[in-house]
Amino acid sequence: MKALTANRLIDGDVVFWKSGQWVEGFGDADLFDDPEAAEAAEGQAKSQPTVVIDPYLIDLMESDGLWAPLSYRERIRALGPTNHPTHGKQAVGGVVIEALLHADGAARSSGRVNLIKRK
Amino acid sequence: MYQYDAVDQEFVADRAREFREQVARRLSGELSEDQFKMLRLMNGLYLQLHAYMLRIAIPYGSLNARQMRRLAHIGRVYDRGYGHFTTRQNLQFHWIKLRDAPDILDQLAEVDMHAIQTSGNCIRNVTSDPYAGATAEELDDPRVWSEAIRQWSSLHPEFSFLPRKFKIAITAAPKDRTAAKVHDIGLMIRRGRDGQLGFEVIVGGGLGRTPYVGPTITEFLPANRLFSYLEAILRVYNRHGRRDNIYKARIKILVAALGAEEFARQVAEEWAKIGPEGDLPDTELARIRGAFATTVFDPLPAVSATFEAAKASDPTLARFARNNLRPHKKPGYTIVEVSLKTIGDTPGDATSDQMDVIADLAERYGQDDIRVTHEQNLVLPHVRLDDVPEVFAQLQAAGLASANVNLISDIIACPGLDYCALANARAIPVAQQIAQTFADPDRAEAIGELKIKISGCINACGHHHVGHIGILGVDKKGEEFYQLTLGGSGAEDASVGKMLGPALPYDKVAGAIDTLVEVYLRERREGERFLDTYRRTGVEPFKEAVYADAH
Repeated sequence: MKALTANRLIDGDVVFWKSGQWVEGFGDADLFDDPEAAEAAEGQAKSQPTVVIDPYLIDLMESDGLWAPLSYRERIRALGPTNHPTHGKQAVGGVVIEALLHADGAARSSGRVNLIKRK
Repeated sequence: MYQYDAVDQEFVADRAREFREQVARRLSGELSEDQFKMLRLMNGLYLQLHAYMLRIAIPYGSLNARQMRRLAHIGRVYDRGYGHFTTRQNLQFHWIKLRDAPDILDQLAEVDMHAIQTSGNCIRNVTSDPYAGATAEELDDPRVWSEAIRQWSSLHPEFSFLPRKFKIAITAAPKDRTAAKVHDIGLMIRRGRDGQLGFEVIVGGGLGRTPYVGPTITEFLPANRLFSYLEAILRVYNRHGRRDNIYKARIKILVAALGAEEFARQVAEEWAKIGPEGDLPDTELARIRGAFATTVFDPLPAVSATFEAAKASDPTLARFARNNLRPHKKPGYTIVEVSLKTIGDTPGDATSDQMDVIADLAERYGQDDIRVTHEQNLVLPHVRLDDVPEVFAQLQAAGLASANVNLISDIIACPGLDYCALANARAIPVAQQIAQTFADPDRAEAIGELKIKISGCINACGHHHVGHIGILGVDKKGEEFYQLTLGGSGAEDASVGKMLGPALPYDKVAGAIDTLVEVYLRERREGERFLDTYRRTGVEPFKEAVYADAH
């Protein structure tokens, strides 16, 4: 399972792909179990250079019966910094945030590694 | 401090206007991200994990109350009410929006500040002694030379696109508070046998992937020949520094490849070609020196009865005095270190409210002078001993009175994976855990000077190589692990730490530090710091204890 993420150009905020638009919460993001659909969305996202910077796909894992980013880096992006629990998206709380906080899988952010390699 | 003239002010304001246009062109799509990225980095604006990060230059770590208040205001309005002081004596805001960046640069320009050359392959902010102009140890005021280098290097046409970034440190005291030996160029002001002022020139130090303590290439450079010599060094580096591999592009790699002697020979050859025409006229240096000559000290007795009485009745003030005050060159004055390492807080962070308190104290009790240290603390360099009890009380009320400068909880930590796009592991929570482990102030004082430095990746913004105990966050199949190094020092006895053994998982680091400290307390001899004991015993007793515990 994958999701598509980027940073929004105008404010740098972490955003996720949802039906051709960008949303701020991971819980609202489109989840792709079809690799072709994921890559098609990534292609579409790249055609929005005045909206987002460096869109890439991230791998997901199951946590608390929900989906969470597999890599720790991506969980921190989706939550906020661990030294300020009231900063970032974690401040809103809720079941999705809890699932992300409880996820303990750890892996490199494969989409981001590909992005770096392409540069 | 140095006062901007009309030319300086217009230049900085103009640069802010230029950036406003560049941001507009980026948002309209006229500039691609690849085109814009270099422009924003030239103004200190990075894209990090959660938002943009703006790195603001604090030249040689020196600022006044008005500037500190403006930073507080920017933190309050455009960030989340705080800022992060860095190991390069700068300030970073971590929650900046691109759309706000032009307004922020305007606001900085109004108080003679900017973010120029805080990124990019150019000469960066000069590091200098935070006690400059206040300590009796110094041979000259290093701020004068730092400011001259700042003006010389700002938008220097020949040195704006070097193979890689370039950092210069200047110290004028035997006690090095700048980490000069691990900078690209370290300048140590020396007095020649004939009384002439000059510089010991160290080139090719550095941290990161390939750490080096820089070799001295000139023992004594007459002070009035500094700028032609810097030009010669930079020119040799610009010509021969590697541009094919970012990891081998710093001057340290060139100096190591050529050898210090050959590098010095090439510099001397280039220097002869440049000649004294490349030097700063004495009149210009005198003009800059004049800007720093405004501090006036009253004649005071060396001992303050008020201060002594307050210390005798308040053990917390006495502890603060032991650990956070330093001797001033003038009787009746002291240098006050303000720790940004309150136990449990983020190292180097100050809230906007705290910045305002520091500004008020500087204005009222400290000759309107504030410094940032490369160890991520603040300094009020000129406080009357009579005023220390009141300054301490106000610092206490603001949560800024931790009496731990140079102690084990005075930890340097980079932003790490909590903020930084380059990091592999978190640094801040590791620092917090260690600080909490040593929260007992009596125990911390009994341990004495112990410098722990933590980086979240090999780029070493947390200076881990030169920590008495260094901690490097690494990524092992996506999990945070930490390599410990022992025996580093960024001071005048500089050395690169040696790795202790296999990396430890996140939850074992604070315990391992505790074990290392116990070994030190067991092994130490009279008067030895942790570093001294390590240098005497070697790594074995420490290694044995940590890995015996780990199994």
